Amino acid sequence: MNLATAAPESVTRPTPPRRSRSELVVDGFVVAAVVAVVVVGLSTERFATLANARAIITSASLVGIAALGLTLIMIGGSAVSLAISQTVAASGMVFLSAQSLGLVPALALAVVVGTAVTGLQGAVVGYAAANPVVLTIAASFAIAGVATGVTGGVSVSPSARGYDHLNATPGGVALSAYVLVVLTLTVEWVLRRTAFGRSLYMVGENRVAARAAGMPVGRTTTAAWLGAGALFAVTAAFTAAFNAAANVNLGGTLTFDAIAAVLAGGTPISGGRGSALRTLAGALLIAAVSDILLLRGYSTGVQVMVKGLLVAAVVVLVHLRTQERHP
Amino acid sequence: MTGRLRLRPELLLPLTSLVLTVAAFALVPTYADATVGAFDVYNALQIFARLGPLVLALGLTMIAGEFDLSVVGTYALGGMLTVQAGQDHYAFGVLAAVGAGALVGLVQGCVIAGLRIPSMPVTLATYIALLGLTSALSGGLTKTYTNITVTLWVDQTVMTYFSPRSLITGGLFVLAALVLGITRWGAELRAIGGDRRASRVAGVRVGRLLVGTFVASGVLAGLGGSLLSFSLGSANPDPGVQPLILAAAAALLGGVSLAGGRGSALGLLGGVLSVALLAEVATVTALPGYVTQLFYAALLGVIVIVDAPDLHDTIVRIRTRLRSDRPNAGHAPLSQETP
Repeated sequence: MNLATAAPESVTRPTPPRRSRSELVVDGFVVAAVVAVVVVGLSTERFATLANARAIITSASLVGIAALGLTLIMIGGSAVSLAISQTVAASGMVFLSAQSLGLVPALALAVVVGTAVTGLQGAVVGYAAANPVVLTIAASFAIAGVATGVTGGVSVSPSARGYDHLNATPGGVALSAYVLVVLTLTVEWVLRRTAFGRSLYMVGENRVAARAAGMPVGRTTTAAWLGAGALFAVTAAFTAAFNAAANVNLGGTLTFDAIAAVLAGGTPISGGRGSALRTLAGALLIAAVSDILLLRGYSTGVQVMVKGLLVAAVVVLVHLRTQERHP
Repeated sequence: MTGRLRLRPELLLPLTSLVLTVAAFALVPTYADATVGAFDVYNALQIFARLGPLVLALGLTMIAGEFDLSVVGTYALGGMLTVQAGQDHYAFGVLAAVGAGALVGLVQGCVIAGLRIPSMPVTLATYIALLGLTSALSGGLTKTYTNITVTLWVDQTVMTYFSPRSLITGGLFVLAALVLGITRWGAELRAIGGDRRASRVAGVRVGRLLVGTFVASGVLAGLGGSLLSFSLGSANPDPGVQPLILAAAAALLGGVSLAGGRGSALGLLGGVLSVALLAEVATVTALPGYVTQLFYAALLGVIVIVDAPDLHDTIVRIRTRLRSDRPNAGHAPLSQETP
């Protein structure tokens, strides 16, 4: 019995090979960059305060939850969804307009919408291997079109005040931050400890091999997108509750923010690797860097530009770091 | 003749879509309470002028098997630089936009080709960074271009249907068609998009060609932004995702494959003309914006699903499963007879 349980453990956790020279260079670069961020942060006025830490965590929370969903998509090898903002907008509209039913039914309804819309795209990607980038671009247009058609382009107002519970700040930290931590641990557990999680890594690593091995590629991919849709809907509920109104632009730049967070965490876009904890780290890193730039008085444009350069740097570093083992 | 066409989807698809959209355009009076005249043709060509450079920029990288998401970022930056550097003389604005586009393309091309890294995440990061840079340059505000003579010149009517802007865009397509058709770059571009390893073995200088493609993509996107700024008399720091969506739809309608290795400049021309005519039909028939949006979504959705590599396999598998569920149906036992 003991042997049987120990065997898969040794399969999933091989001893890491000795680090090569280029890996050491990359690691050294990463350590130096992190030290630089910390030094700049500490030398920035009002950065190392409790209030600022709360601000960073709060600003990371909404992007972080959506980015967790995107992590599932990316690990499964279907690159990215470019329809996150629109899915969040549509789910947020449903959430606010269903407030008269009560907070929990409204939340459930929003999750159903987010899951259905995203899961449908996942099924097409999973079963037909459609290009996810172009498919989700089309989906973003479709979702925004339907949302505009249904609402007539007017902002949706909440039909009751139940949503206000989501704006609670227990212990001075936004509720969404607690939810982010719980969801990160949940997603991490699902990825590491369930059969679904393990097959998701395999499908992402090599779709053809996974199919040849008889794995349910289509079903696994669809399940990942369904989970992503649910997480997008949770983001939508918090965003809509915060704004107390929802229109087609509710999602804002969330699509690119979420992609930036996942990539900045070091999850490669090619799939098969990555984790929820990495995404959490990526979201916090971007929030912290944006916060430093804000405190130092840089404009929104500069903050966005640095975010892009940060993502580019991490993408290149992760590629260099993993290339040796996967030539 | 039909047999040859059927073998070449990169010609069949744009030709079909162009014929269909021209018919839809010409028949507008029969199904809508509107007429089409010379002005509508001019307008459609103006839309062509706005989208054309982006379609060419995106399409060239797609033929090479890459996907340059940063084109819209370069487009925005080019437009903004044109307004800021070209107030005195338009040439400075165009030079700034084209130079910035070339630089962006060069850096991206070197990173992507040198490190053999997937282009999607790199160009996505560049897109975000360029939008930020454009917004930082303008303080997040729309900037006005005050040189009104240039604005009037680029959009004046030439030979009833054209404007200098649409003629320049058409010229870009002709140039691309000539370069890709006469030199060996066209064949090599398709080769590295189809099978990069094989073309490397066959002696194609993959790295150089990729860098060149990204530089061309950056230059075209920058020039496109420049022309748009002249026409609008202003530059917007955030063009949104609509230009990217329309450009992707036009490139796909133009017979470019998402997997790479397929497509031609003339096909791209057919694709972008189709999208421009469709947009003009939507304007003439006064469709609400969201209906047009849904139409483009459906168009792009159908293309991407038909293009999906495993669609056929999945349908066959489902059909087989349905048949094997009924073992007495006749065909299923065949495999048992021939082991």
